Amino acid sequence: MNSFDRSLDKIDMMKLLIFLMVFIIVTFAFVFLLIIPNVKDHRILQAEYKRVLVHKTRVENLFFERETELSKLKAENVHVISAFKHPFMQEEFMRYAGKFFTHVSLTEITKSEYKKEFVEYELNATSTLKTPTNFYSFLEGLNRYSSIVQADFPIYLESDKESISATFKIKVYDLNATH
Amino acid sequence: MRLSFIAPRPKPFLSLFSKMWVIFIALMSLFMIIFNFYIVIEMSSFKSGVVDLTKEREMLELKIDEDDATIGLILRQKALSEEIFSNNTLLKESMKNLFDLVPDQITLKKVQMERNSLILYGISPTQDTFNFLLAAPLKSIFHTSNTNFYLTKEGWYNFVSINKIIGEDGLRE
Repeated sequence: MNSFDRSLDKIDMMKLLIFLMVFIIVTFAFVFLLIIPNVKDHRILQAEYKRVLVHKTRVENLFFERETELSKLKAENVHVISAFKHPFMQEEFMRYAGKFFTHVSLTEITKSEYKKEFVEYELNATSTLKTPTNFYSFLEGLNRYSSIVQADFPIYLESDKESISATFKIKVYDLNATH
Repeated sequence: MRLSFIAPRPKPFLSLFSKMWVIFIALMSLFMIIFNFYIVIEMSSFKSGVVDLTKEREMLELKIDEDDATIGLILRQKALSEEIFSNNTLLKESMKNLFDLVPDQITLKKVQMERNSLILYGISPTQDTFNFLLAAPLKSIFHTSNTNFYLTKEGWYNFVSINKIIGEDGLRE
């Protein structure tokens, strides 16, 4: 410190007042012109951010709920979903029907749209079987078949000497490829 | 000629008192500028955060829509498959019931099952056997039931029984 400087020993009141004024003016200028407007904007933005965050969290929770619901549904209906996806093949169906009938043949009748997103094929099945029990087993197994198949009327059964010939309609449901 | 005993010293432009004030005001200003800078940075991070969150929310909403569509499809598939499976089971049961209904004395030759009708062709030892053992239960199931008999060479009766249900439900019992 400069030993000759006596400005601290004898404080000039005028200078002190002037510096104090300058300090107050500068501080106030910063506070009122810069900090307060920015803090206001900051608060508005923070509120906006929180609002958006809450909205997003709600949507996220909803999304998780839907995902849980979807995976639960998928798990519960694995067979049905895969059966609808599985394309119906006549050879495969005839192999399945061959377990119950001694002779099977299929003729396709119609193909039409069913309830917006499904396609319905109608086929005529002609078969020969030994006992009606085979027909029951065939109908029972149909619900576990790899495609969605419904046996439907008309059903014609005619007995020969040794076997029964059966003609019936089957309806196959697939997902419409456009959906 | 020297008029003073001490050597002259250069007078500083700012006294110590002034320097202290100037430094104090400068530090104060610096602090405020830093504080303001911090607020501005945080504001910009909020702004970008809002944009990111909005994008993320919109993406989640899209995924929710997709999930909803998939859930709807699975539910419709489930409903349709349940209907089909129950139809298959009912068909099986109705066929089983029909064959259980036929007594040992009567032989069926041909069965035609339609949605609303059942036509049976077969042989019965007597007309009464048919009327008591098969016609009675058939009449309880169907709204109309008509049977025609034809005498065979062996003395048995060929019969044609036409049974109908009047209504929309059809043969699902």
